[in-house]
Amino acid sequence: MKAVFAVVKRLLASNKISFILTALVVLCATSSGDVVLSNGNYTWLLAVLTPFFFVFYDFSKLMHLGASKKDYFVGCLISYAFLAFCISLVNTIVHLLIDPLYPARTVINLMDVCRWTENGILAAGLQQMCFLLLVMVFLHVLLSMQAHWYGWLTDAVLVAIICIFTPIAPLRSVLAGFFQIIMLNGSAPLHIGVCLLLSAALSLGGLVVLKRKTL
Amino acid sequence: MIELKQVTKQYGQAAVLKNITLTIDEPGIYCLLGRNGAGKTTLLKSIAGYQNITSGRIQVGGKVITTSTLDTGVSYIENFAKHFNLPVRKLLRIASEVNPDYDYEFAADMMGRFELDGKKKFNHLSLGMKTMVSTIICLASNKEAVLLDEPVLGFDAIMRVEFYDMLTESFQKHPRVIIVSTHIIEEIAKTIQKLIIIDRGSIRFFDTLQAVETKAFRVSGLEKDVEAATHGLNTIGQDAVGGLVTRYIFDNPPEPAASLEIHPLSLQDFFIQMVGHKGGAAK
Repeated sequence: MKAVFAVVKRLLASNKISFILTALVVLCATSSGDVVLSNGNYTWLLAVLTPFFFVFYDFSKLMHLGASKKDYFVGCLISYAFLAFCISLVNTIVHLLIDPLYPARTVINLMDVCRWTENGILAAGLQQMCFLLLVMVFLHVLLSMQAHWYGWLTDAVLVAIICIFTPIAPLRSVLAGFFQIIMLNGSAPLHIGVCLLLSAALSLGGLVVLKRKTL
Repeated sequence: MIELKQVTKQYGQAAVLKNITLTIDEPGIYCLLGRNGAGKTTLLKSIAGYQNITSGRIQVGGKVITTSTLDTGVSYIENFAKHFNLPVRKLLRIASEVNPDYDYEFAADMMGRFELDGKKKFNHLSLGMKTMVSTIICLASNKEAVLLDEPVLGFDAIMRVEFYDMLTESFQKHPRVIIVSTHIIEEIAKTIQKLIIIDRGSIRFFDTLQAVETKAFRVSGLEKDVEAATHGLNTIGQDAVGGLVTRYIFDNPPEPAASLEIHPLSLQDFFIQMVGHKGGAAK
């Protein structure tokens, strides 16, 4: 486990650009009008940026330092879980402490939009964490596949699904239903369960991709 | 320890490794020689599990090696390996953290001996120093098999000598299989135990240096005398100038005769004769 935690430490330490960019956006983003976006929403940017660094920057370097693929894989999962927890914690704190500072205006925080706050702030934080974990694992797997034909095929299939499912009403409701389950879900146990199950399934997919990864 | 069975690697229609069968069953420092494009890097990367082979099987320490092997027990480094842009000392420290078998003491000792500035960031080092850092990390990894792909590229003469010493010390400290691919043949001869010559994707030679010293000869003289003296011997090459012929043999030396000149082959000449003539026409 010592090696895994060393990998986690290195992954997080070499993710500085993501941290800085996210911090800049969170601190500098401004909104005008009666309805404003919560700055806490922008913490989600870290979840989007991180997999790019883990996949394209860290993998080969860790392998050259003598880390095993197994430790890299486990290290990535632990890092994603840790980051999901941190992002969720920061956004929850922003939602609780900073958002109420705009009394005259409506502040939109994604935790409200996704109806997670209906279950109480603790459950909302947990739901957010699980959702962000899912996003990061999904991006990690998708990015890892980009060097292979099946990665491009997956991109094409995803674009096709969005393009075809969006304009056709019955298919649109299927797509909307899917997003309601994984994102806009008011039921905390169902939402957390689905996110964790999907994350686990995607992780297994990621392991298959990692096993085919060359250097 | 390392076993290759009918290993073939193809890129499209081009076969880079052709049906290679090779067993390395004892610890030692092995030198992998081959011309550019002979398949050295492909062979080493395949043993390290960095890429898959098209057919055959590779085993290291009884473990089948493919890209699916999550922990291969093999350490491979290429000369242009990229590392985190961190100070050298920190880089070596991280390597010791991510690899439980790593010998940090050896790495720190080598860093001192090669006068590597521990505070200097990796990207600010010269090519030779970068290669040295990669080589130290690889040797200190203490994995079952260590594969060094052209490690002396960019080294000056003194660094090369130090490197060969380091190789010997590392092996004495932890006997294991170390395969070094290089083009600088004569220099490494003092360090290695066995020689592997690869040519156009096939293993042309795998034996001890002693075998080369005792069996590789150049026999020169008139064509009929050379023909008579080397008849039935394993001829690996021939040069002819006018009526004089030089035959290169890998066999027991022929009986000395007044009309013949018999000289042992240098490692470099042996290699040249094994993989093709200086002019480029391969046998």
